[in-house]
Order: sequence, then C-alpha cells, then structure tokens
Amino acid sequence: MTKGKVFNLGRMRLSGSQSVARGAIEAGVRVTSGYPGAPISDLQGSFDQLAGNIPRNNPFTVLVGKALDEAVYQLVSHWGTTSNEDNAMALALGAVIGKGDYKKREFLTEEEWDLVYGETVFADDKEKRIPAGSRVMCSFKHLGGNTAADVIRVAVNAVPYTGGLSIASGDDRQGTSSQTMQDNKILFSFHFRIPTLELYSPRTAHSTVKNCYCLFEELGVPFALIMNYDLSYREVSVDPIMELDITANQRRKGFTRDPKHLVTIGPHIRPKEKKYHSELIPLFKLKIKEYFEFLGNRVTTYGAEPKAMLIVNGPFREDFEIVNHDPDLKGRLESKFGDVLVMETDIVFPQPDSLYDELISKHPIREILVFEEGYGRVIYLQLLDIVNRMGLDVKVFDCGIPFEPRIYERFSYIDYIMDV
Amino acid sequence: MANGKNPAPKRFTSDEITYLRPVSSCSGCGDTKVSWSLMEGIRRFNRELELKGRDRYELIYAADRGCGNLQGYHAYRIVDAIFCMGAGAIVGDGIKESCSEKQIVVTASGDGAYNFNISGIKFAAKNKRFGAINIIYNNYNIRMTGGQTPLEIDFDREGAAMSFDVIHINPFRINDNAEIFKELYYRYLKRDKIMVVADGVCAIDNGKDARVEGLIIGHFKRSDDCLDIKFAKERERVAREDPDKLKNLPRFKCRLCGIGLRCHALLNNDPSICSGCGACSQFPCPVDALSFEGLSFSISTNITELKDLGKRHG
Repeated sequence: MTKGKVFNLGRMRLSGSQSVARGAIEAGVRVTSGYPGAPISDLQGSFDQLAGNIPRNNPFTVLVGKALDEAVYQLVSHWGTTSNEDNAMALALGAVIGKGDYKKREFLTEEEWDLVYGETVFADDKEKRIPAGSRVMCSFKHLGGNTAADVIRVAVNAVPYTGGLSIASGDDRQGTSSQTMQDNKILFSFHFRIPTLELYSPRTAHSTVKNCYCLFEELGVPFALIMNYDLSYREVSVDPIMELDITANQRRKGFTRDPKHLVTIGPHIRPKEKKYHSELIPLFKLKIKEYFEFLGNRVTTYGAEPKAMLIVNGPFREDFEIVNHDPDLKGRLESKFGDVLVMETDIVFPQPDSLYDELISKHPIREILVFEEGYGRVIYLQLLDIVNRMGLDVKVFDCGIPFEPRIYERFSYIDYIMDV
Repeated sequence: MANGKNPAPKRFTSDEITYLRPVSSCSGCGDTKVSWSLMEGIRRFNRELELKGRDRYELIYAADRGCGNLQGYHAYRIVDAIFCMGAGAIVGDGIKESCSEKQIVVTASGDGAYNFNISGIKFAAKNKRFGAINIIYNNYNIRMTGGQTPLEIDFDREGAAMSFDVIHINPFRINDNAEIFKELYYRYLKRDKIMVVADGVCAIDNGKDARVEGLIIGHFKRSDDCLDIKFAKERERVAREDPDKLKNLPRFKCRLCGIGLRCHALLNNDPSICSGCGACSQFPCPVDALSFEGLSFSISTNITELKDLGKRHG
C-alpha cells in the first residue's frame, strides 16, 4: 500500500457520517457531491466545511481541516448546489470518468487487468498500470437512491471508468424523517449490481472506506456504502492517527477520450452489460474473497466442530463484537448454538461464493443463520442462490429484521441473536 | 435494398428489414453542421494561438441524449460522453473538475431536454471556477421521440436570468459559426458563461414549414471547376476510349464537401435530395466550386423572415 502523510488528531469522537467523511479524505478523495437529508447531511456537510465553502464549526472539521491545509489537500465540495441527488450523482460521474494519470497495480494480476481494462484505450499499456483520476464520493439519503437511479445504473455501463467512485446512502429504516422506510441494499445490490457494504461502526468505518477505494478503484467499479440511521448519528472514539493518501489526491488531471465506454448507446453497452454480469461480477467475488480481511471482515470459529454458521451484518455485527469481551455472552452463545462459526461481514453484495464453499467443506456446517437489517434480505437471498447453485448440503435461515428498531426504544441486537 | 453483402434476414417480413449500416444524418442536418463548426472552431483557435501537438487545446463534448447529440457522435465522433437524459450539462460540469486546463468542455442538449437539464445548466452558470459553453439544439419539438411540442422556452430571458450571455446562431452558416466558436473558446478560458442557441436545426422541419408557406427552396450548385465534375468527365472519356482501364480509376477525386458536411446530396451529386440548408455555400471548397441557387435556410431559419426576403428579391 502507498504510504501517506500521517497526522495525529488527538482524541476524537466521530459520528458514522463523519467517520465515512474521514475515510474518504484519507483515501485522497478530490471531488465530493451530494444532497442533504437525514441521516446523512452531516457527511456532505463535513466536506463542505473541509473544502472551505462554509465555516468549520466542529472539532472534527477544525482538526482535520488544519491537517488538510498543511498537506495542501485538493478538495471540491458541492452540497446543496447540485439541486437534487440525480444531479449530484451525474456530477460525480462526470468527475470520475476523467482519467489523466496512472497508478501501479496492487490487487490485480495481469490476466485480471486484461479482463477489466483490455477493451479500453489503455489496453496497450505495457506495464498494465491502472488508469487513475480523481477519487469521488457522492452521498444522499435512501430516497436519493430513487432520484439518482438513472445515473447510477448508467454508471455501470461506464465501468471501468467509474473506478474510484463511492456512493454513500443513509438509510432511514426506522422512518424517523422520511416518507418511506426503504432498504437501499436491494437497489444497489440487485438493481445496480455494484459492490455494496453495510458499515457497522464509526470506529472502523473510515478504514473500511479507505480500503474499499483502493480495491474497487482497481476493479474499475463504483461501490456503495450503506449506513442505518443509528450509525449515521452515533458518536464513538476513533483512532487518532490519520494517514492521508496524498498521492491519490494530487494525481494529474485529464480526460481521456473513449467513446466506446463513455457514449452509452446500444452497440456500445450491449457487450459491456454481458461482460459485466458474466465476467466482472465473478471477478469481484473472487477479489472480495481474496481481500476479505482487508475490507474489514473476519471469520471466527467458536469450538472445534461448528455445525452452525452465523452471518452477522450491520448493527448485528456491532453488538456481536461484545461477545469477545463478555464471558457471560460467550457462554450464552455456546449454550444456544454449540460450536459455531461466525462470519462478521460488511459485504452485502456480491457474496464471495467460493469462500462459503471452502468453509462448508472444511467444517461440518449444517445450517446458516443470516442476521441482517432491512426488508430486502439481500444476503439471505444470495446465500439461498449459492447453496442451490453449488449443491451444498446446508439449510439457510433468514433471521433478519425488516426495519430498524427505533433507537430510543432500547433494542439489543445481541439479545435478538441469542433469543432467535 | 438488401444485396449480397447486406442480406435481409429471411425470418423478417419485408417491412421489418433493418439495414446493417451505420446511423447517418439527413442531408442538411443542422445538428451535424454545428458539430462541424465546433470542430473547425477549435482548429482555428489552436492555429491562431500557434499551438501544435500536445500544446493544443482539446475539445471535450458532453452531451445529453437526443437527435443532435447522437448525430454529433455518429457523424463526426465529436461526442465524448453521453449518459442519461437530463445529465448532459451536469456531467460536463463534473468533467471540468477532473480534466486538464488544456481541455475545453462544451455541453449540449436539445430544446426538449433543456427543460430537464436546467438544473445542470444553472449549476454551470453559478460555478465561478469554470467557464461554460452550453449549446441548445433548438428544433422547436422533441424530434427523437415523435415530435412532441416541448414547454415553451424563451431562451433570451431564461438564459439571461441564469446569467448566461445568450447567442443565437443559424446552424447552417458553418463558416460564421466556426468563427463564433473560436471566439467563444477564448471567452470560456476567461470563465464567461455562454449559451448558444442553434435555432431551426432540423432541415426537414424547416422544409415542411416552407412548403406550407408556398416557398420554393433552392439547391446546391457545382461549377465546372469542381474536381469531381472534371473527374467524372475524365471517367466518361476513359470509359469511351479504354474501358478496361476504368476499373483502375477511383470513382471520385475530391468529395471533400460531401464528406466534410456529411451530406448525401453532395456525395451523390443529386440536387433532388438537397434539403436546401445552404451550408455548402459557406464550405471552404478548395477550388471555390460550390454555390447555392435560390433561397436557403442559411439565409434564415425563420420561415416568415425567409418569405419576406423571397418576396423582396422576387
């Protein structure tokens, strides 16, 4: 990994939105756009303060802003000036397709590079470097996904020119300040079919975001970050050491013409759609498996012969972390499930099927229990597909909650897991 | 007609035949004429600044969906980015954030998509960091989806309200427009905001309106100096005197105007399919052999005005 410029920010408590903003800044994001709305206003609002559009008025933007000024960091932020989410997303798309620089390959083999970049104007590059430009983030609340759907879907047709773009979606699954309690994981996973992650804690969100930029930029695909209402607002202490990828931030600007990828007309998109679904998504799965821990996920075995596998995602994952620090909970877990294998994962789509195959063939697993939030049951449905397609002898159970329990009604996700 | 090289699939009935040929524009298509002027404009701009090779300014053209922009792509490959309806202007604004200083971003849409694009256009007007050239292909209807009438637009008032300098051009005066665009590129670099409205770009619509008004529109004319006409005579002579050599001769000598303007009438040297746009009268023919006989839309795309002029000049 490229070494960046290191700053010690001192003790700092960040909300989920602020932590994602810090992750994007650490990744060297140069252009940000978005449209405000609860619960995600704070994210783009932080960028607006860091870019100097409005005064820096909280410890996070003051401290990080000072570091950015020192590093001569380039940041452009468009918050409410893009008049809706569709425009914000289109601006982000325009900013990300300009590839005026190169970076060295870190995650792809030569064959994989050929698959991703072999039909672009960069195909003749002898060193097989990654075409790189501005890293971009676009953020909106879950309803924005509906408004921006047109642009996000067409961004898939511009792959691999959309590498370096992330879309942050704040999901109000508890209906506190929205007209719907939408689960945007369905939209990003099953409709747009781009890599989708549900973040679980402000403590780790920034490093996950940074690592996602590194991996998915090389794969040339945009990725989606989902946060629920609680996560967006909840503040926790985070690592005081911030490492800025200043090389990524100060890449050479430029636009390289490639109408076959950037002019989305029938003859151009037909072969690309086919390739995306049949060749690139399997590649994403493979790379997600390969860099499973790098993306902030882990598999833990409790006991020698696990017969059950728990998949804990989003808020379930955060509560599950207490198990390792609380012997009583550990005892409850063992008495409830016996020996158990727990996959703590942010990944919502695509699920790495070969990893499941490997785990199931290695352990005597008979049942998989999926704990996820949102009515989409995105992980559960993918697991059903994997089990059927690969002929695995396991049963998959949906143990998710279709909405976000209201935060002020005291809901314990870990008790829900133990009592399921 | 389907031939040996391009056979019609047998499973289709005759009225379902689709021809395996690239999309092409109508002869006299005003959209492609504006594309020609844009390209010629940047060429003259670089020449005037005496820039060569990598030092030259480059044109980046971000378009919306629609007749004009797709023709711009198919005819001249001038279009760099087309995504979804209503995103042309704002995608261009995004490109400005990541492109180099030597790249001039022009955005475009039709008059129908203008109403959808308006927030992106307004964004460009208010973004003080970059200049803006936004072209509107105004054919007074939404041609690509069946010719619906869009919301009525007063570009002068709406453009001015968004702090654009609104310039109306006749799309068929290609040489004048190339000069206009050349000047606009200078203004872009000074961060000026310009909205260029190409009025009456659809020569087919103009022709219909002219017929309704009883106007007779003229057609192009080539003088005997035309290299192709001279060469056609040479071919006739060879055919007469030494027919075996005919197969070694090319069919044309020049065709610069037909290829340059992507005009079927000029390519086939057939005035009967000329739609009367009059762009050829401004085309820089190397031997000055092109002219136009009668009224043309390059005089005016306003049919009432054209009618008055016609009466005045008999």
